Amino acid sequence: MTGGKHSSDPPPFARHILSLADTKRILGIRYSDWLLGAPSIETGIAASAMAQDEWGHARLLYSMLKDFGFDPFEVEHERPAARYYSAPALDEPLEDWAGVVAAVAVVDRALEVALESLSSGSFELAQSRIPKMLAEEEFHRSFGDAWFRRLSDAGGEGRKRLESHVGAMLPSTLAWLAPEDGAYAELVSEGLVRSAAEVRDRFDQGFAHLAGAIDIEAAAVEPDRSGWDEMRRRGPGAPAEEAVERARGDRNRALFVE
Amino acid sequence: MLTEVLDPELSISIMDLGLVYGTAISEGNARIELTFTATACPCMDFIKEDIRDRLLRESWIQKVHIEEVWDPPWTTDRITPAGRQALKKLGVGA
Repeated sequence: MTGGKHSSDPPPFARHILSLADTKRILGIRYSDWLLGAPSIETGIAASAMAQDEWGHARLLYSMLKDFGFDPFEVEHERPAARYYSAPALDEPLEDWAGVVAAVAVVDRALEVALESLSSGSFELAQSRIPKMLAEEEFHRSFGDAWFRRLSDAGGEGRKRLESHVGAMLPSTLAWLAPEDGAYAELVSEGLVRSAAEVRDRFDQGFAHLAGAIDIEAAAVEPDRSGWDEMRRRGPGAPAEEAVERARGDRNRALFVE
Repeated sequence: MLTEVLDPELSISIMDLGLVYGTAISEGNARIELTFTATACPCMDFIKEDIRDRLLRESWIQKVHIEEVWDPPWTTDRITPAGRQALKKLGVGA
């Protein structure tokens, strides 16, 4: 799907949930890439545990779409990459461990803020399901923050790469977290989510201490809204096809069983 | 009956782990409200299957409906004293 509205586009609230679910699913894949090859066996296992959480959260979010008449199986297993609503920062694989740390600090944190926003709204299914997800996210945050500090304090190549990854991820992720479009404004007016300004502020408050460690002023970073597509709830591009093939389980399609 | 259904990873009753939030049986229909320790628990399907298998062994139960619930979120506080004892024997603190 490219820009413009199509009759088959999901309504704004379904797109919002899809955006959270797809981002979690792709983030899980990006974490799982580092089960092997992380700086230590323990960190690889932590990456695996986080991947498992992200996929569990994605599953619960996709199943919420049943309320909007969607078949969760189709949503999870039939869509092409161009119909994914995931955060652009995850479109390509994370190239090194500093990239994983940046993704935990920036994208996973943005997801946490977005989930908290959704659970604070009037959608009952979110109110009942998201607290468990947020409880599981606490581990991600403490793990990511500890690694962020470790790399920033160490200086040298580790810090340099961390700065580079954070700098690349922040602008598009801030745009994804706090859209300034009519669809998001509609959700806010219906009491389903917090305002874009509020979620941005909550993100900045949580991230400022880490950003400061690499000399970034979180609140001063401008979101990159170039090419924003309201119907896909993200900027240009799409997750790499290889990741989506894995997300859909293409190679094992013949083995799916009830 | 559900005390006989074990968590496949820990071999402890799902009742002692505090995974069952509610039960109701009416006219042969059993309704179970079930949660899991984690949103991506790898044993979800096995546990559901074991619950169904156990309940359907009773001649007076014809149908089993399992509702997945997440509110309130499961924490270790839900483990019973017997469950804690069993975990301790396995070398797991809770």
